[in-house]
Amino acid sequence: MKILVCIKQVPDMESKFKIDAAGTWYDHADLAWRMNEYDEYGVEQAVRVKEQVGDADLTVLCIGPEKVKETMKKALAMGCDRGVHILEDNLSSREPYEIAAIIAEFAADKGFNLIFTGMQSQDRGSAQVGILVAEMLCIPSVSTIVEFSYNDGVVNVKRELEGGVKALVSVTAPALFTCQLGLNTPRYPTLPNIMKAKKKELLSIPSGELLKTEGRQQTEKMYFPEKAGGGLVLEGDVAELADQVIRILKEKTGVLA
Amino acid sequence: MKALLVAEFRNGSLPGANSELIGFAEKIGAESSMFLVGEAGTLPPFARTLYLADAAIHGEYNPDTHKQLLLSVIKTVKPDMVVFSHSSYGWDLAPRIAYALKAAQISEVVDVVDGIPVVPVCNSKLRRQVQSKTEITVITLQAGAFGTAEEPTGSPSVETVTTESESGFSFGGYEEAEQGGVDLSKADVIVSGGRGIGQADNIAMIASLAQALGGEYGASRPVVDAEWAEHNRQVGTTGQNVSPKLYIACGISGAIQHLAGMKKSDFVIAVNTDKDAPIGEVADVLVVADLKLFVPALTEKIKAL
Amino acid sequence: MNFELSEEQSLIREMVRDFAETEIAPSARERDEEERFDRALMFDRLAELGLTGIIFPEAYGGADADYISYAIAVEELSRVCASTGVTLSAHLSLGANPIYLFGSEEQKKEFLVPLATGEKLGAFGLTEPAAGSDAGGTKTTAVKDGNDWLINGTKIFITNGGDAETYVVFARTDRNAEKHHGISAFIIEKGTPGFSFGKKEQKLGIRSSPTLELVFEDCRVPAANLLGEEGSGFKVAMKTLDGGRIGIASQALGIAQGALDEAVAYAKERTQFNTPIANFQGVQFQLADMATQIEASRLLVYMAAYKASAGLSYSQSSAMAKLMASETAMKVTTQAVQILGGYGYTRDFPVERMMRDAKITEIYEGTSEIQRLVIGSSLTR
Repeated sequence: MKILVCIKQVPDMESKFKIDAAGTWYDHADLAWRMNEYDEYGVEQAVRVKEQVGDADLTVLCIGPEKVKETMKKALAMGCDRGVHILEDNLSSREPYEIAAIIAEFAADKGFNLIFTGMQSQDRGSAQVGILVAEMLCIPSVSTIVEFSYNDGVVNVKRELEGGVKALVSVTAPALFTCQLGLNTPRYPTLPNIMKAKKKELLSIPSGELLKTEGRQQTEKMYFPEKAGGGLVLEGDVAELADQVIRILKEKTGVLA
Repeated sequence: MKALLVAEFRNGSLPGANSELIGFAEKIGAESSMFLVGEAGTLPPFARTLYLADAAIHGEYNPDTHKQLLLSVIKTVKPDMVVFSHSSYGWDLAPRIAYALKAAQISEVVDVVDGIPVVPVCNSKLRRQVQSKTEITVITLQAGAFGTAEEPTGSPSVETVTTESESGFSFGGYEEAEQGGVDLSKADVIVSGGRGIGQADNIAMIASLAQALGGEYGASRPVVDAEWAEHNRQVGTTGQNVSPKLYIACGISGAIQHLAGMKKSDFVIAVNTDKDAPIGEVADVLVVADLKLFVPALTEKIKAL
Repeated sequence: MNFELSEEQSLIREMVRDFAETEIAPSARERDEEERFDRALMFDRLAELGLTGIIFPEAYGGADADYISYAIAVEELSRVCASTGVTLSAHLSLGANPIYLFGSEEQKKEFLVPLATGEKLGAFGLTEPAAGSDAGGTKTTAVKDGNDWLINGTKIFITNGGDAETYVVFARTDRNAEKHHGISAFIIEKGTPGFSFGKKEQKLGIRSSPTLELVFEDCRVPAANLLGEEGSGFKVAMKTLDGGRIGIASQALGIAQGALDEAVAYAKERTQFNTPIANFQGVQFQLADMATQIEASRLLVYMAAYKASAGLSYSQSSAMAKLMASETAMKVTTQAVQILGGYGYTRDFPVERMMRDAKITEIYEGTSEIQRLVIGSSLTR
């Protein structure tokens, strides 16, 4: 059995962001980087499947500059068998369609039975890449899974819907799944496994060898949203205040939608 | 400009976000039509053409057949934009459509500025204006970002669509949300009461406002210490850290221990008689009022909506 | 010269930090208040993560990582809970390391492997009521009786005492030898007849780490448990403490970093005179000094760790690292309490605990005065 898990290195969301010189992305300087949270659930699920079936080969794939290898090492230390690093120095200019095309091109002739991705990245947040990869490979994909079980080629999952409701779905492998918070609790890479990870194979491929398509959208500019302001102070009659608050709730929040 | 709005139907009812699709079409001045896999007896208010496929035949979650149905409608309508909600239905179906149409997909649009969609980046810390380079564009809308000036009305003129395509998915029904057990960290709306609620009985009015908003109620430490609320409802450094979409702080002055636990909330409304209470510094809206009068008034009006 | 951590060291930091923040931090305050050692959390979980034998070879159940990785692990644990930090440091540096350094192959197999894998918890019994800094003054005796040793005496202030299964204990085996030469080290296991525990100390800080008395009354220990050569105990103790100082220096470093992180977060949050107090130069200067002292300590700690891994002589370096880091921890935690003001003095914020925890780092495994003596004598020898 062959499993692929696709991960992305993203900035720590607690970071203080700045806009880059071109004004189209955030500045990479002085950021702490980690594995995209949703991808960690993917890695954990992939490792669990491997542990369950025993005979499986688990590849972790990551696109980005040289420094993404550090995040890949974590995936290897969590239990992936080998790494494929697709070297792309200008990741932020590659839109989801191009990223998916790179992954699909790599995966096309490898015969992966199961592919896991995060449901979205924490930075770009398009929630497209996983499903696009599956469409390109002509295999079924289920997004936003919070439960997964594999049994002899049949996969039963639960998708998370709004309001805590879950949809039960079954598909037959090969198939792709995008992973959501709640799917599992990712393991910590243990110290001995961190030490062993450096001996695992980590292949590097320039993105140019796999990217055979053009982007379909481009970022015009990036900026900070306007601050809510020092806070609106409302005073007066209670009934009128309630109406004002309801209007604000409708305009500014999604809760009365 | 023509927009095809992809509405949603689940388990016998229509989620409220359908009117946001209409709001978006209004905002960009598009001529719109709507697509729905649902049932003829439960149609959204919409005064134009609705292309309806029967959910009883085509399944409620079945991306393969829904994709084929929607593609056939797109062929007829020839829209410039296909618009989804950024929901579990929308973000799942949209990329499949975008791929089939060779179209750009712009996800989780919160605004349109100078005709160009704006999307959030990095947990909404940043915004990005994204230009599509394809003839047809697929868009998903962030929940709550677009509303209509007035509630949409009217009955759609229905065109029925159907397909015989095969599917690789087997949908096994729904599992309802579990009841009981409070997990404030997962609540989208939290209404919290502080020392200002005055007495134990008043926690009930906090709870009923929370219920009216579909959320949970919380409490500040003095309220928990006084045993007016359970400890698992305490927000703050010695309770839970929360980050709901809406946090309403009633009678909470805003001790730093409390602020540390709720400052990541997207939108904060404070209700306090003291205009200068520190909670005002983190609040988007400060309602200067007696919560014992204001909270029940607000609850009644929300229930009446 | 290279000041960058290796990929493995960075990953170890990320892993231990995630673990410490997610699992250790939430109960730190409660464990401190209740003076409760939670072995399942503070030791067994460390074992599952492979932290209990970081520096030992795989053949002995270790992870084969270097001293810097060990320092990072203790630092990150101590950043949220100094008691957990010292549990690991006392176990690894003091309980297990002397067996690794001085044990026979049989002793390593029997005693080191279960310590490194975390099946057993280790501790170290040197200090006595009348022999603290003056280890040569050891009064506990070991008398040969056939093939065994009979041990009598009391050890005090023993970290992990009571909960640990394996103890390295020092006793005088030759009353007539010059004071440093008549001491020997023994491996004594919990449950050995004649070995019992005395009172549990009530402490100012590191209250979630147990500190007990060890009592030996005609405790019969087989000759095979003599660690190193007879009469070499003083050397075993001093070498062990050289390594132990890296652990305590790392603990102090972690406490200081934790306090700085709290102070910075608070200063950005706390508004006075309509502006966050972080905007006041007076506060910024304090934070700057704290950060600079911490960074200087970190360089000393990592250098001592580097030397230990590289096989270089490091007793002067580890003494400097421990002296600097522990005094920095005390200063920085005190300043952090000051920056948090009244809140800092309450138990709602962790800095008061950090300040209480910091004090011990200036005392145990060689007081600051002893570190100065070690450094001074290495300069003037």
